[in-house]
Amino acid sequence: MLSVRDVRVSFGDIVALDGVGFDMGEERVGLLGPSGCGKSTLLRVIAGLQRPDSGSVIFDGDDVTGLPVHKRGFGLMFQDYALFPHRDVGGNVEFGLEMQGMEDEPRRERVAEVLDLVGLPGWEKRPVDNLSGGEAQRVALARTLAPRPRLVLLDEPLGALDRMLRERLVTDIREILVNASTPAIYVTHDHDEASTVSERILIMREGRIVQSGTLDQIRSAPADDWVDAFVGL
Amino acid sequence: MRLGIARVALAALPVLFLGYFFVYPVLSILHRASIGGGGLEFLLTRSTTSAIWFTLWQATLSTILTLAAALPLTWALSTFSFPGRRWVMAIVTVPFVLPSVVVASAFIALGMRDSVVAILLAHVFFNVSVVVRTVTTVWARLDRTPIEAARTLGASSLQAFRKVTFPMIGPSVAAASSIVFLLCFTSFGVVLLLGGLAYRTIEVEIYSRVTTFLDLPAAGALALLQLVSITGVMFVYARIQEGRARHLQLRAEERVLRPARGRETPILWSIVISTVVLVLIPPAVLVARSFRGGGAGWRFLASPAPLAIDPTAAITNSLQSALIAALIAVAVGVPAALLVVRSTPGWGRWVDVVIMLPLGTSAVTIGLGFLIALDRPIDLRTSPWLVPIAHALVAIPFVVRAIVPTIRSIKTVLRDAAAVLGASPARVWRSVDLPLMSRAVAVAAGFAAAVSLGEFGATAFIVRPGTTTIPTMIYQLLGRPGAVTFSGAMAMAVVLMVLVAGLVLSLDRVRAGELGSF
Repeated sequence: MLSVRDVRVSFGDIVALDGVGFDMGEERVGLLGPSGCGKSTLLRVIAGLQRPDSGSVIFDGDDVTGLPVHKRGFGLMFQDYALFPHRDVGGNVEFGLEMQGMEDEPRRERVAEVLDLVGLPGWEKRPVDNLSGGEAQRVALARTLAPRPRLVLLDEPLGALDRMLRERLVTDIREILVNASTPAIYVTHDHDEASTVSERILIMREGRIVQSGTLDQIRSAPADDWVDAFVGL
Repeated sequence: MRLGIARVALAALPVLFLGYFFVYPVLSILHRASIGGGGLEFLLTRSTTSAIWFTLWQATLSTILTLAAALPLTWALSTFSFPGRRWVMAIVTVPFVLPSVVVASAFIALGMRDSVVAILLAHVFFNVSVVVRTVTTVWARLDRTPIEAARTLGASSLQAFRKVTFPMIGPSVAAASSIVFLLCFTSFGVVLLLGGLAYRTIEVEIYSRVTTFLDLPAAGALALLQLVSITGVMFVYARIQEGRARHLQLRAEERVLRPARGRETPILWSIVISTVVLVLIPPAVLVARSFRGGGAGWRFLASPAPLAIDPTAAITNSLQSALIAALIAVAVGVPAALLVVRSTPGWGRWVDVVIMLPLGTSAVTIGLGFLIALDRPIDLRTSPWLVPIAHALVAIPFVVRAIVPTIRSIKTVLRDAAAVLGASPARVWRSVDLPLMSRAVAVAAGFAAAVSLGEFGATAFIVRPGTTTIPTMIYQLLGRPGAVTFSGAMAMAVVLMVLVAGLVLSLDRVRAGELGSF
């Protein structure tokens, strides 16, 4: 379904992606790697926010590398949520539906449905500037899911939250994604989080994907010493 | 507000100064307008209604044109990082600090006198930087991820601008527009010098009522009208400011701005170069014009034989006034700024409004008020102190505006740390607050001096033969026939331009970017 082929991106002298390639189907994939390994850049390339220097992104057989971001129909959930400060919760969640030109009535229904899904039923009219971290995270997830994206990309969505909250929300996210049966790429530097949310993990290091498999598989047969140390117990 | 002794002491000087030199004169104008009788009827006469009408439409049109001229550059400066960006910012700021008399002289040098077009262009020239600086400080630091979020949710770049970017920068654009409108609405020097007899704003009408007909009640009625309208605009501005406080995510410019790519590059540079060239043309022509005829203007300044006004004396007067005005403005402005910061939120807003009122009051009203009121209890109208006092009054709001953010930025924890280490409140102030705010105070003093050097509206009313300043001398020279005096006026305008621009650019090096945004 998604196929990324030999993608390269550099910023000046810094090589962010050094020939990244992988394929994925209707599944949840965890993209795991230390800070600065290029995982966020890879996500931005797939979303269409970053144009690769070379390589291609293919979705359902179509080459989307040159397709502008707003025509891809992928959802991206940002690290710091990026909620629109001038819109309330409902206004944020319905944004993507507005862009699709959906009528008022079905739009309201869909917003209610998604807010229900993320556990915030009836929160439409609340302003976004005094939401707690966990609440903002749920609103951002609802906004990402509302337009029924073909692929969901999550960029360290729990990075800013404390440990307790993260452990609770990560299972919620897993359930929500599975129930919506949407393929997803989940970027994180935490292997427990990655293995909870996703069926398969890609390990990334210095702009390349160095190994793929379940956490157990990787742990039992690490590709090299670095991977062994990185996923070690 | 708790009335501690410290607060009373702090409030004493600002209250006395603003009370005697601002509130009392304004009340006197009110009184004069009401006892003169016929004030209201006078407002309905033809010459007045046409002045009111002209004031309104030229201010509206000037604001629209300024926005149109400023927004492309604002976009470029808020989107791209490029070599020389800081310089471009500094260059477009220069017109705003130039005295109105200099700007008017520059447009006269361009051969545009007695025309509406000249007035409008001069207003645009003046105010482009207000829009550029006010909007860029927000836009260039605006977190881009909400815009990217909109794009991933299916918004085209135009839709993302309309639905996400604009709602966030819109209040800044509105705030800048209301400031520009206010400045054009109260424009005096530019209109007096460029409008000839045909085009008069309320300000010019007040001035000519006083100087030509000595009709104080009529002038008072107009000043009152001016005061009411300005208060209205200020009120709108204050409401916009409140909306602006919305929780925008701002980041460091370096993290937001990006280099131009592909066809953006030629667009960026054509906007930047054309704006910079347009901004530089009037001053350049002014300088060129002052040297025409083999430097007759400069020779005239050196030996102005048959003249009542001595250029050297005017320059000395201006420099003296600037120094005294800066000292007064700081002496009154610093305690006033402390008062704004230390008051409870509700009170602080009122204190802020009262201190900002002279900014909203036109300089002409201040001059008229001095003329009407300051003969009792002591007749100050012949005092050499009058001009610097008027200048200080005009400069105080700027001083307060420049200092308040600095005081606010001093972290409470620093004061706490000093107190825990054994410093008394007075000592905390002396060892923490004072050193940390001294640079801002220096910048504010310099800015007050620059305001004083260029002040024309209030000075025009109260100037006497012995106290002629550079701007009033230029005005007098322009009113006389003869090519030589004209060149002399141009040369004098160059002197003033160099003084003010030099002063302000040196301040900008002390601390870039603090003063130009509202």
